Amino acid sequence: MMKYIALFTALPCIALAQDGPFSEGSEARSWNLAWEQPARFEATVVDMLCEITGDCANECGAGRQLGLLRAADGVLTYPNKNNQGIFTGAAVDLAPFCGMQVEVDGLLIEDDYIGATNIYQVQMIRTLGDETWKTADGWTDAWALAYPDAAAQEGRWYRNDPRVVSLLEAAGYLGTGETWQEAWELTR
Amino acid sequence: MKHAFTAALALVAAPAFADGETVTIRGELVDTWCYFSGVMGGTEAVQGTAHHTCALWCSAGGIPVGLLAEDGTVYMILAIGGDDQSASGQTQLELASHEVTAAGRVFARDGLNYLVVDQIVEDHGITNINHSDFGSVPGFAIPNPEG
Repeated sequence: MMKYIALFTALPCIALAQDGPFSEGSEARSWNLAWEQPARFEATVVDMLCEITGDCANECGAGRQLGLLRAADGVLTYPNKNNQGIFTGAAVDLAPFCGMQVEVDGLLIEDDYIGATNIYQVQMIRTLGDETWKTADGWTDAWALAYPDAAAQEGRWYRNDPRVVSLLEAAGYLGTGETWQEAWELTR
Repeated sequence: MKHAFTAALALVAAPAFADGETVTIRGELVDTWCYFSGVMGGTEAVQGTAHHTCALWCSAGGIPVGLLAEDGTVYMILAIGGDDQSASGQTQLELASHEVTAAGRVFARDGLNYLVVDQIVEDHGITNINHSDFGSVPGFAIPNPEG
């Protein structure tokens, strides 16, 4: 029953998606998310740990989350997602631009009720002044370089990622020790 | 008076970061995109056992991990116990969906809360058993074992 309640609480919100203060000129594709706003703006790509805490010893190092310090108002937006299907973040796509001034196009998520503000989904990025946009879709290629054996297998990356596979084998799909068959039956 | 003005100016001009507020927080490690975007439904469906497999995928995929506190506040985790690999890092991956008691420092910036975890005081394991309410989220997370 709860699954249907969750679905129906999400559905009416789709109609509420609207333009925001940075929507002018945006060509971002809608994801039909509840509180999305198309948003195109100029920003500096910053290392989140450095920007937030001042711990800059490994600034822009691999594996650290990156943010967008918006030029117009100095607000720090947090890219949670890149432009690929599902389950992939934006740090890999932003990494080549760390410390640089860029222009981005994508979707801002603003939902006061759950505390979501300045959450961003990056769809396109380019160095400021550059005419050519780059689609933020580099995560799976980077993953395939890191895990060539897994990438050679049939199926989506998340089904073959060796770290995920190892954890699923240890604790199951629910994380609480059930076998594959048990987890399947418990969630039907 | 001049010194007071200078001190006030220094405070205004100080960088956004400071030492942070020292805290101990108990909550569940969640993937923030599913939680904030609503892409998979309401917030209660994107946590716990129902969402465990997706939480692994999102953490491995580099989506920021957050600590969903008991009061509903989400803290964006920037580091855990000296591990600064906040995008796809192994430490946070192994804690996906776990309820933990974390000691660290909180920083507020532009409406979001950020957490540097100095120490996981206690790992309570996965305690939010909600798959009987929501099934698996997303529905394809658990493939049919019979193919």
